[in-house]
Amino acid sequence: MKNRLKVLRAERGWTQEDLSKQLGVSRQAVNALETEKHSPSLDLAYRISALFGLGTEEIFENPYEVSAPKNVIGPPSNAPAG
Amino acid sequence: MTATHPSPELVQRQYIIRTLLFMGGYVAVNLAAIFGAFDDVRGSGAAGLALTVTAPLIGHTWATLAYWRDSDEFVRGLMAKRFILAAGIAFCFASAWGFMETYAGAWHAPGFLIFPLFWFTYGVISPFVRTSH
Repeated sequence: MKNRLKVLRAERGWTQEDLSKQLGVSRQAVNALETEKHSPSLDLAYRISALFGLGTEEIFENPYEVSAPKNVIGPPSNAPAG
Repeated sequence: MTATHPSPELVQRQYIIRTLLFMGGYVAVNLAAIFGAFDDVRGSGAAGLALTVTAPLIGHTWATLAYWRDSDEFVRGLMAKRFILAAGIAFCFASAWGFMETYAGAWHAPGFLIFPLFWFTYGVISPFVRTSH
C-alpha cells in the first residue's frame, strides 16, 4: 500500500529505529512499510496515524478510492416515469 | 486497539535462547545414542528413549509459537509465509523420496530427517521471502 511514511518520518528527523520504538514494532517492519513490502493492519495504521497526528487517509493511499461516487441506490432504469 | 509487543530484540533473544536449549538437548541425546550410550536399551525402554529424543521438538515448536505471538505483524506474516513454503517443499521432497523408495529402490531415509529437512528448507528460502503479501 502506497504511503507517505518515509517523508513524514524524515520531516520529524526520526530514524527507522526511532519510529519502530515509538510504534512498538521491529525496524524491519518499518522498513517493509516504507518500501511497500507490507500493508499495515487497521490497528497499525491507526497507531501510525495517532503518532503523526494525521488522518489515515493523509498517510496511506486508499487503492479502492473511486473518483466519483456512484448512485447505486435509486429507481431502476426501466421504472415508469411519474 | 493499542496492543504493543515486547521489544523485538528481547523477543529474538528469547527465541534464540529457547532454541539453543531445546536443540542442545536434542543434539546431546542423539550424540549419546550415536556413541552407544543407549545400545543396551530394549523393549519399552527403547520406546521411551525414542519419545525422549522427540520431546525437544515439542519444546522448540512452543518456542517458535511464542516467537510468532510476540513478534509484530510484519514478522508474523513473513514467518507464516516462510513456514508454508518450507513445509510444502519439505513435504514434496519427503513424499517424492518415499515413492522413490517404494517404486525405484532408492535407499531408505529415516523419518526423523523431516525435521532437519524442514528447517534447512526454511533457512534456504527465507532470504527470498521478504514481503508479507
